[in-house]
Amino acid sequence: MVRIAITGFGIVAPPGIDKKPFWANVKAGRSSVRKIERYDTHLYPSHIGGMVHDLDAYSHVSSRLLQKIDPFSHMALIASEMALKDAGIDLAKENLNRVGIFMGNALGGWLYGETELRDLYIEGRSGVSPYMASAWFPAAPQGQVSIYYGIKGYSKTVVSDRASSLMAIGHATKILQKQKADLILAGGMEAPLSPYGLLCCNTNGELSTKNETPEEAYKPFDRRRDGFVVGEGSGIMILEGEGRAEKRAAHVLAFITGYGATCDGVDRIKPNPDGKECARAIRMALDQAGAKPQDIDYISLDGAGTQEGDIGEAAAIREVFGEAAKEVPASVPKTMFGNLLGASGAVDMIMTLLVMEHGLVPSTLNLEELDPRCAGLDYVTGKARPHNVKKALVISRGRGGINSALVMEKA
Amino acid sequence: MATKEKVREVIVHLLKVKPEEMKDGQSLEQALGVDSTEMVEVVIALQKAFGIQLAEKEVAKQQTLDEIARVIDSKKVS
Repeated sequence: MVRIAITGFGIVAPPGIDKKPFWANVKAGRSSVRKIERYDTHLYPSHIGGMVHDLDAYSHVSSRLLQKIDPFSHMALIASEMALKDAGIDLAKENLNRVGIFMGNALGGWLYGETELRDLYIEGRSGVSPYMASAWFPAAPQGQVSIYYGIKGYSKTVVSDRASSLMAIGHATKILQKQKADLILAGGMEAPLSPYGLLCCNTNGELSTKNETPEEAYKPFDRRRDGFVVGEGSGIMILEGEGRAEKRAAHVLAFITGYGATCDGVDRIKPNPDGKECARAIRMALDQAGAKPQDIDYISLDGAGTQEGDIGEAAAIREVFGEAAKEVPASVPKTMFGNLLGASGAVDMIMTLLVMEHGLVPSTLNLEELDPRCAGLDYVTGKARPHNVKKALVISRGRGGINSALVMEKA
Repeated sequence: MATKEKVREVIVHLLKVKPEEMKDGQSLEQALGVDSTEMVEVVIALQKAFGIQLAEKEVAKQQTLDEIARVIDSKKVS
């Protein structure tokens, strides 16, 4: 099977925009989680999050276009531009009928939506922007990026909660293998911290309410855990077939060698704590990659921080890896900036690319008292751990029992 | 202020373009690449600025500032 190469990426996230500041903060184990103060949040049970700063400093989007889009599209445009530059690709020279976009998103663009809703009540119908129709829906960033670059190939937006972008990337890989496209911009974006967006997140009952200690709130696998923290951002990578990458002498960062996805099918919010379907998704990915569990050097955990989520994920890994689970470093770097929901899988993969490049596994913040039900894994806690990572497993799960797993191999 | 200049001001403010981009003698579409959705906003903004009603297609992206000013002036006859 053709190996799919990752030849560049762009990152817009709370620790930093672009790879240098992002990695510098992650490496040092610094948390970017803060109280949300963009508006009065005192009624929200959970009102902490990972926020992106200075977006405008990195943006080349005209103020005229900014009137028509939500922040999640803005972040996707910035991340796309960075990714293309990183990969050394000038889309004007490509056959745009063979270039695609595969994005993951969970919520849509609610800042735009709720602003127009308010204007409807204050000014009536004529107060609503005509761009409302195209600004809020989850596939808007896919549209905006395609318009910006003239991209016309096979594209998709995947909506599957926190597993959205890993699934979008997995799907993109299959499309490239089937040669339905030659080049794909793949990843995700999420801007969930607006008043309505944050409400949507709060009502799933899975967010931490430790608002007075934002940096310590997100403690997956810890027995004191009470849920996760949300964040905003976008991660986009450039995917192409190995042959094409080689032909243009691209700098290949890693290959995607396996992908699997399953559903728990038991509850509309909570995953199955037995982790069996999660284990099956992991096995599908490993089998496709032709990898044995003991070949894996690093596991990027979903780390939901919920009771059933963490118990199930640990159980799934123990089931697949057996005793070898104790030897494979595993961590949840997203404890430093929050779960970026639709963008989280893409950001986890980008994190893993940096882990491979620097031979350093970032820490899981706040994991100090391991829940005995989650034992059996080699959790990296405290300081970042130097470790040579050639093959990695990335796990991304979503509400209602969605499981996805992907294997990456350093080039 | 002359109607034409006020129209230019409304469009420049709404679309966030520079005044010199809205060239005389060119239609909105030619000068600024105004699309049909932006035109909806332009019409609403002109109605508010001049206190008039405009029927669909009375003001269109194929018109120049002069032509739009003429349409608006014809509404102010009282």
